[in-house]
Amino acid sequence: MSESGLHGQPDDAMVDLLVKQVIEGLSPAEQRELEAFDALRAGEALVELEQAAAAVSLVGLTLEEPPAALRAMLQRRGEELIGANNVVDFKRPSAARSAEATAAAAPAANPVRGDAGRSGTLGWLAAAACLVLAILGWLRSPPPAAPADTARLNPPALQTSPVPPPAPPQPPTPTEARAALLARSDTLKITLAPTKDPAAAGVTGDAVWDPATQKGFLHFVGLAGNDPSVKQYQIWVFDGKRDKRYPVDGGVFDVPADSSEVVIPIRAALPIGEAKAFAVTVEKPGGVVVSALGHVVALGAAS
Amino acid sequence: MRECIAEYGALVWSLARRLTRTPADAEDATQEIFLDIWRSAGRFDATQGSDKVFIAMIARRRLIDGLRKKTNEPPMDPVEALETIAWSDPGTASEISHEAEQAAKALKELRPEQRQVLELGLLHGLSQSEIAARLNMPLGTVKSFMRRGLIKVREFMKIDAESVSARV
Repeated sequence: MSESGLHGQPDDAMVDLLVKQVIEGLSPAEQRELEAFDALRAGEALVELEQAAAAVSLVGLTLEEPPAALRAMLQRRGEELIGANNVVDFKRPSAARSAEATAAAAPAANPVRGDAGRSGTLGWLAAAACLVLAILGWLRSPPPAAPADTARLNPPALQTSPVPPPAPPQPPTPTEARAALLARSDTLKITLAPTKDPAAAGVTGDAVWDPATQKGFLHFVGLAGNDPSVKQYQIWVFDGKRDKRYPVDGGVFDVPADSSEVVIPIRAALPIGEAKAFAVTVEKPGGVVVSALGHVVALGAAS
Repeated sequence: MRECIAEYGALVWSLARRLTRTPADAEDATQEIFLDIWRSAGRFDATQGSDKVFIAMIARRRLIDGLRKKTNEPPMDPVEALETIAWSDPGTASEISHEAEQAAKALKELRPEQRQVLELGLLHGLSQSEIAARLNMPLGTVKSFMRRGLIKVREFMKIDAESVSARV
């Protein structure tokens, strides 16, 4: 622990802000207040507090394996990310490979620390500075539109992965667009509960909706596949500003038989004044203009 | 990739389940955390802490963001329920990470009310104001307990690192 971190003569007000940052995050005003302090000292102290909080969060944690469908989804998204951006795998970071040689040459400079020692092959000398600088970069500049945490950890100037040449912009996938919506504070998120319909057995899902852009997505895990020539799923948005007997058509969609998880864009046929609830029905191919809502497979309402 | 998911999937999923309200929220959070992990993999530094703590740091940042977006929703559990999920067995901590074991030792040095403040903030995701309200404790006291508790944990982690370093 350095003298410029939590020890030495840390400013009480600064540490209070950093503790709040670690526990619950800061408001924009508090972030500006934090920027008034020495950035180096604040950055180092923040890392130390975050490490302590992370260690505490592991105490008494009962490890539970993630669902198989989620594991498969993680695999797919990881492959998409690495294929698209050449991001290194955590288990073999490219920076670590060069650092291992340095560590081998100067072992005294790398004190062994419990698991850190057992994970020593992942050693990487330059990262401490990078982590502090990353935080300083975050302290000194407003976060970009990307999710705040990612931006904080991954400022472009400090990118340690090989930087690929600029590629033409690709439209985000529904999963990426949904993630971007979820990163915004004003996005509505509603959990969708399955009905007793067999197609919905064991289904989990949610709807996210951004009132400003009128964009949103449904996300389902476990929804049964459908034959589009026989039936299709159709989304309905219940608008608090309209007659609730006539929900707004949100578009039809299909679930491939081999898909455990789907993300579907909501294509509302009319402007939504106040999204109050979402439902999914099973309809004839192409959907219907007005649903009898007789075959509902999932629904959820804003609290 | 597959190894990374196999090794850290349970850790991330378990942290996400602890700090989210529904399984669907936990699934979303787990995906976002893993994306953060892969994007940040190059910054892992074994000299600064274990891989598990690095993963937990990333996870906590993402989960805190999620919690703050839901500040208008009612709290997850009543106090009575929260008390049943308290830290109890430091032995499980040592299985997860050495730093967690040190953190468990540090927690045992704290007064019960201090420990409870850390527990509500770090294990249940309550803000300091929410903790003050739940425990009927002045906000300043909560802040003081939280700060001293984290520094105590950090000191234990540092002492351990230095003692290990001195032996090698």
